[in-house]
This record gives sequence, C-alpha cells and structure tokens, in this order.
Amino acid sequence: MVLQETLTFVEPLGVDVTSSPRSDDGRVDVAVSADGLRKEYGDIEDGGVLAVDDVSFSVDSGEIVGLLGPNGAGKTTTIKMLLGLVTPSTGSATVAGVDVEEHPRRAYERVGAMLEGARNVYWRLSVRENLRFFAAIGGADPSDVRDRHDDLLETLGIAEKADVPVRELSRGQKQKVALACTLARGADVLFLDEPTLGLDVESSLDLQRELQRLAREDGVTVVLSSHDMDVVERVCDRVVILADGRVAADERVEDLVEVFATQAYRVRASAEPGLRDAVAHAGTIESWTERDGIARFEVVLPDQEAFYELVDAVRESGAALEAFESVDPDLEDVFVQITSGDGSRATAKEGRAGERATSSPPVTDGGDER
Amino acid sequence: MSYLTLVEALARKRYVILREYPVNTLTQLAVTYMFFAGIFFGGQAVAGAAITDSLPGIIVGFFVWTMAITAFAGAARSIMDDAQWGTLEQLYMSPYGFERVMAANAVVRLLESFAWGGAILAAMLATTGQSLTLDVLTVVPLVVLTVASALGIGFVFAGLALVYKRIDNIFGLLNFGLLFLIAAPTDQYPFLAVLPLSQGSTLLQRAMTDGVAIWNLPVVDLAVLVATAVGYVAAGVVAFRFAERRARRDGLLGQY
Repeated sequence: MVLQETLTFVEPLGVDVTSSPRSDDGRVDVAVSADGLRKEYGDIEDGGVLAVDDVSFSVDSGEIVGLLGPNGAGKTTTIKMLLGLVTPSTGSATVAGVDVEEHPRRAYERVGAMLEGARNVYWRLSVRENLRFFAAIGGADPSDVRDRHDDLLETLGIAEKADVPVRELSRGQKQKVALACTLARGADVLFLDEPTLGLDVESSLDLQRELQRLAREDGVTVVLSSHDMDVVERVCDRVVILADGRVAADERVEDLVEVFATQAYRVRASAEPGLRDAVAHAGTIESWTERDGIARFEVVLPDQEAFYELVDAVRESGAALEAFESVDPDLEDVFVQITSGDGSRATAKEGRAGERATSSPPVTDGGDER
Repeated sequence: MSYLTLVEALARKRYVILREYPVNTLTQLAVTYMFFAGIFFGGQAVAGAAITDSLPGIIVGFFVWTMAITAFAGAARSIMDDAQWGTLEQLYMSPYGFERVMAANAVVRLLESFAWGGAILAAMLATTGQSLTLDVLTVVPLVVLTVASALGIGFVFAGLALVYKRIDNIFGLLNFGLLFLIAAPTDQYPFLAVLPLSQGSTLLQRAMTDGVAIWNLPVVDLAVLVATAVGYVAAGVVAFRFAERRARRDGLLGQY
C-alpha cells in the first residue's frame, strides 16, 4: 500500500511529567502520561515475555482517548502500569500530574477505573450498597455523594434497581453498576476497559453521551479500551493503537482515517465491451460483476489525478456512468490495516516536531498480556 | 478522608455478605461448637468428673481459638475472595492505600471475632454449666493483644494469597496449629511465650479462670504480650509489603 510507506512508528514523546503545566482551574494539562513504558515478565532470554515495549503517549485533560489493539497487544498491561497495578520494568507513568509509582495514593484520589466490567462490583450487595462502598473506599463520605449517585443511576437507567442485589440484574445492568461505581467517585481521570460490553444499543449510546458530556463539561479525561470500533470512532478524540506491545499509531481519529484513505471508488455503469479494459488501464480493479447490462465494480486508483483518467476512459468505452462513490475507510479498516501483522504495517503518527519519517516495524518477543 | 468511614464501609459489606451466606456462617459456628462438645461429652464419658478440673482452661482455649481463627483466616480469605470476585484491584486503587484498607479490614475481622468468640463462649458456658470471670476491662485488652499476633500471621498469609491466590488448604492445617500455640505451656517453658497466641492465652487463662485483673498481672508478662503483638503485626506488614511488590512486579494483582 503506497500510503503506508509515508507512515512511521511513533517516537516516544518524552513528556516531562514532573513539570506538567496546570491550567487556570488547577487541573494539569497532561492528565495521563506514559513515558517509555516497558514490561518484561521473566527473563526474555530465558523464555520470558515482553508484554509492552517502549510505550509512550500522553492524554490531555478533557480528552477521550481510545487504547486499541488486538488481543495480546499489551493494552491491559499498559493500563495497569498507568494505574500502578503492575510495576513497569522501565519507564514511568503519571496520572493527573502524579507519578503513580512514587505517590500511588495521591494518584488514586484522582482516578476511577473499570477494569473487569461487571466483576468490579460486589454481586451480593445492592446497587446502592455498592455505590456507597466504592465511594467510601475512594475517600468520600457516602452520605455526601448520595445526590451524585441518584443522578448516575438515573442517567444509566438503573434508578429503579437501586435496592436490588447486583446478582439479580442482567449482564448489561451489572455493567452499568460497575460503571456507576467508577463514575461515583467523581474522578478527574477515568480508565474504562470495554465500558459498553453487554450494553444494549440505547444504553451504549447513553453511556457514550455521558462520557462526552463528562469530558466536555467537567473536563474529565477518559482512556478507554474497546473492541467496538463504532464506539471508539464516535466517542474518542484520539486513538492509540498498540500492536505487539508497541505503539503502532497515535492519532486523532479523523486524521488516521484520512491518512489511510485510498483512491478507491465504487462505480456502476452500463456494461460495454471495452469498459473493463479501459478501467484496468486507469487503476486496479478490486471487484467486478455484470448483470442485466449493468457493470458494478470497485477500482483503486494510483492517485487523485487518475480519477479524471478513469472518467474519460469510461466515457471513451461508450459506457454510461450511472453511479460513482468514494470508498472511505472507517476506523475498523484502519485498525485492521495497522495491526494486520504482515510486517509492513505502520502508523500515521508524526513526531513531536511534526516531521514524518519511515522506520522499521517493531520487533517484539511475544507480547502476551498477563 | 475518614478511617471511620472506611471501617464502616468494610464492616457493612462484611455484614451483608455474612447475611447473604447464612448457612455458611452458621455452619462455621456449629462446627466449632461441635468440636468443643465432642471433647466435653467425650471427655466426660472417658474421664468422668476429672475433666471438670480442666474445663475452664479448655473453654478459654476454645474462646481464644475461635477468635484467632476468625481474625487470622479473615485477612487472607478476604484477599482470596476479592481476587476471585474481581474487586481486588479496586481495593488496591483506594486513596487510603491498600495496606491501610487491609488494616481496616483486619479491624473489622477483629470485631467480628468478638461476636463469634462471644457466641461460642456463651454456648460453651451454657453446655458445661461453668462460670468464668468476664471482667471487660481485663478481657478485651488481653484478647486484642492476643489476637493481634494471629492477625500478624494472617497478614503473612494474606500476602501469600496475593501472590498464590488459593491457599485454602493451608488453613485447615494451621487452624490446628493454632491450638498447639494456645495450649503451649509458657509457665513451664517461658521461651514459648514468644510464639504467637501463647502468652496471651496463658494470661487470659489467669484472668478468666482465676479472676486476676489486668493490673494485677506481672508487668513483664504484659510487656512480653505487647512485644509479641507488635512484633508479629510488624512482621506481617513487612511480609505483606514484600508480597504486594512481588504481585505488582509479576502482574498478579488482578489474576485469579
């Protein structure tokens, strides 16, 4: 793919987290920062696993960032290192300007995390008892945040289940309870692993709206991991894609999609004898069907200029153009492209200085998540 | 942040869970009582009235044992439960700090041990018709200091649970090990007083069977009790920290 050659693996940002600038309201501008995170389980030369290799990225306050990657890419390990649940072999992580390894308790005052979905709450306790418990564990007096709990239950549509033990709820409702418990702490930074898993469409959309509202109105920073590309594309400002334990892409969603956009077109025209040859001359035919005198085909052109050559070629063959549309990739296409594992994947990330360069693909030993 | 709020939250959660598993909770009590009843009625059948002389000591021993087991196993078992349920990492991410959450949890288990110990004591006294001196000002501090050493050992096993998750089978073995510690003859062999539970058990025997008030106990004996309590708790905390570091290094916190 021509466009892939213009891409490069991400250089570590090297953000100086100890001097994170603060905005006027006291929030740090960089809410989450991973700086050269690496995690080895066991001795690599002796059959150990390199789960994460030199991962660096940062997330600004109020930003919603999707952490994506295939199974075993290192997402969970990365999130757990950011949360201080796993000690990095090298590198550092800060949350809300606080070094998680140095001052975990201070960091936890600002963080809420949903890592295991519905398993993050006590199923024997009622919904409200869970909210009270996790508020208390999070350092709040449960009585002081009761109104917030009521609002959350209302927003997530489980207000009528407040006094029901979690074990009696549906899977989606359990997921909502876990989410409510995470949000109940009023944290500045949220880490959400598969937050919409098990939710029905309406609840999923409600949640996505709530996350966007929290980010826009309250300046809450969200790092979410999901396999649902529609959710990520809709909610996230930016995505960090991990592959084999390394950052394979770190871009705004629209920029990433744009970089991976191809000059692919889906065309419908009257089937004339010289049409196929004429199209093949202009570009690469990806698919071709003919029925009832109508040809339907998909063609990839080498560049934008070739578009006019295609139109001329179709016209010269005597065919009548009936429909013509650009085939735009969505995030899922981009994700598959980046993580396809063919050794030629690359990313759209520019270095800090904005320059683009090419480099070798990452080489890792394993990359299993633990 | 208030530690009282933390303890209250943990106590409330524990109460709900105990309430939700009534059969398990009652079975636990029943087994302890039946074990005692077996010794009492079996002893009567074999030794007749002779067992009556040693009965107060047996009752106090069982009382301490019940409380020690509750406190000792509670710390480790709660780690195993939370790891299994998927809530362990949430507790870890408390701004109070994981160690303090676990300490607050130990306080809750200590309070719970008073409830179970009191219930078993009442049942044993009712069964045997015996009476003991229950001077609260003497018994409560002695029990707390005695059980503290068991809590320290509990912290060691909580640390092991953090790394190895399932260590249930060790409990069965250790529960009976605690009986030997409680029955250790510290009067005959003073060096045994450094073992967990041993010195406290001896002093509780004197307080409850002989009616000796805490201020009439030898200062040296009390000092040994305090030292062993502090020492075992400190050792437990150090071991727990070591295990916590290992669990984080190996990415084991969220695993089960």
